Formats: sequence, C-alpha cells, structure tokens
Amino acid sequence: MRDGDNESIEQVADELRGTVPVSAGFDARVMRAVRAMPRHVRRVSFWSRLTTPRTLVVTPWSWGLVAASVLVLAGLGVVQLSEALHAAAGPAATALFSKASKPATQRVQFVLVAPDAKKVAVVGDFNGWDASHAAYQAKHRGGGVWSVTAPIPVGHHRYSFVVDDSLWVADPTAPRAPDNDFGLPNSAIVVEADK
Amino acid sequence: MVVGLAAREAGAQDPRLVSRLDKPTEAAVTAIVDSARAAKLPTAPLVDKALEGAAAGSDGPRIVGAVRNLAARMATAKHVLGSRATADEIKAAAGSMDFGVTARDLARLHTAAGTRSLTMPLAVLTDLLGRGVALATATNLVDQLTRAGIKDSELSLFQRDVRVDIEHGADPAVAATTRGHGLLLKHSRSPARPAE
Repeated sequence: MRDGDNESIEQVADELRGTVPVSAGFDARVMRAVRAMPRHVRRVSFWSRLTTPRTLVVTPWSWGLVAASVLVLAGLGVVQLSEALHAAAGPAATALFSKASKPATQRVQFVLVAPDAKKVAVVGDFNGWDASHAAYQAKHRGGGVWSVTAPIPVGHHRYSFVVDDSLWVADPTAPRAPDNDFGLPNSAIVVEADK
Repeated sequence: MVVGLAAREAGAQDPRLVSRLDKPTEAAVTAIVDSARAAKLPTAPLVDKALEGAAAGSDGPRIVGAVRNLAARMATAKHVLGSRATADEIKAAAGSMDFGVTARDLARLHTAAGTRSLTMPLAVLTDLLGRGVALATATNLVDQLTRAGIKDSELSLFQRDVRVDIEHGADPAVAATTRGHGLLLKHSRSPARPAE
C-alpha cells in the first residue's frame, strides 16, 4: 500500500469516528414516535411464570416476622386441620379416630350375692376407685343378688365390690389380685376386645 | 410455649389426687409420679394406686409407701425388660411381681419371648397365680408356652379354658398344667408358625 492511500484511509476513519451532530429536537421526536407505537403484550405461559426464577429481597427483621407468623399459623393450622378432618370425615371416621385415641370399652356384668347389703358398688382402676360413680352402682335383682353392667376399657384391671360404702368384697368368681398394699381384697379381670 | 408446657408437665397435679388426698400425701405422691415420668415409667398406675388407697381409707404414709413400692417394681421391670419395654409390659410385669414373681423370673420370660410382647404371657401368669396356681408351676408353664411361640390369641383361649375348668371344680394347678401341655402338644404337631 502506498503512503498516500494510508493517509486517505486515516482521514475517512477519523470522519467516521467523529460524533454525528443531531438537531435539538431529535430525541424528543424519536421518543414521541416510540410512545405512539402499539404496546406489544408478551404472552407468558403459566408454566413459564411458575418456572422462571425470581429474586426476592427480604430484610432481616422481616424474616423474623415471617418466621413468627409461620409458627403461629402452623400451631393454629394443626388444631383447625384436625377439627376440619373430624368434621369432614364423617361419623364413621370420627369414631375410628376416637377408637385410636382412647381405649375401646366392653360392657361387663358384675354380680354379687349379698343378701344383707343395702348398697353395692363396683370400684376399680377403671373408675378411680370411686364408690359413688353413678355408672357402677349395682341394682338389687331380688334374692340378695346385686348386679350392674358397666363399660370397662379393654385390658387388665383390678376391682372390688364395696358393700354399704364400707365393706370391700372380692368377686368370688374372679381371680384374686394381691392385696399387699392396703389389706383389702381385690379381684382381677381381663376385658377383651370384640373379635 | 414449649418451656411452659414442659413446666406444666413436670409439676402437674392430678385433680383427683388433690380432691381425695390430704396435702402432704398429695405432694409426696405427685413427686413420685413426676420422678416416674422422668424415668419414662407409666404414671397412670401410680395415680391409680394412690386413689385406691384413698378409697380404702388408708392413711397418708401407707398410701405413699404403696405408690413408692409400685414405682420401684415398675423401675425393676423396666430394667429387666429393657428400654424398649412398653407401658403395658411394665404394668403387667409389676403386677406379676405383686405375686412374688422375681426379676430373675422376668428375665427368663423376657429371653423366652424374644422379640414378641410379654404383655399377654405376663397377664396369663398373673391370672394363674391369682387363681391359686403355685409360683414355680405357673412360671415354668408360661415359660414353656412362651418359648414354644404360642400366639397371644391362643394364650387368651388357654386362660379362658383354665378359668372354665376351675369354675367346674378342677384344681387350679391341674387345670393349668393339663390345658398347657395340651396346647404345647397341639402346637408341636402343627406346621411351624412364626410367633406374634
């Protein structure tokens, strides 16, 4: 290449490097034209919205607030959820749930022959040894026979009859439970679930 | 909230104890119950024992002594049966110890049972003892039945059969050993079944 040609190329390059002078209202005219253009609505699919990562900025104090709210709502939610499940599940499922949470019971008849008694009650580990418990008061059936049929939880139990609020009497038809602790006779019973 | 709940658990007063025991007795019983709870022992039997004492008209020291003895028996039972013993097993074991079943007997039954629950075998043992079968006879019989892998359902039937036999006038030891040996014979003739 000859030097003269290089000089020409340099001159053209300098010209091209220079800033292009525009009129004062050029920017304004361009922006007016841009604003006048119809808006293009970019359709974003639902799946895209779900899968597009987003950046969430949370300050430290708001994290604490969020955590506390979650704990409170979780606590309330557990209570309400179990209640809702009970309500929604229906009576059968509720009964099933109840069976799971407390032991099943069976109706058991207790019979004692005590001709001279005026009152007979059954006490045991199923009623807190409470001789005044209404469900465990025996009725006189005649001939000195007292009986009561009461709900007893499935499992192994100790019990006794209390005659006239003072005399403890073991069930003669049941195996004896040891009476080492209080010197009073107790009987043992095993209540089995319905098969 | 969690701390509050824990505090409530530790010092919880059973309202039945409060209403039926005098203050010093109630405090002593509650302390024993709290210790048992901390040792992961079932506490309902302890409360029940105190209520039984109250219903029987016993004085405070006797009630506290009975509750303490029961707690000690349950602790021994748990020690022998291991940390995986269930509340039912511990209760059943403590109940059998009332009849004189020793820790050694419990250990023997525990070995015989392997991985199955001891609740039913112990219940059968206690029932036999309660019907007057001698300790050694009852313990040996239940040990044999347990080692043979007799299922809980079959043990329950065995228990019922013995009861019926005794009600019909049979000697308790004779009824128990006859029914027990019959069950063992029947089981030995059947194809091998896994224990429950």
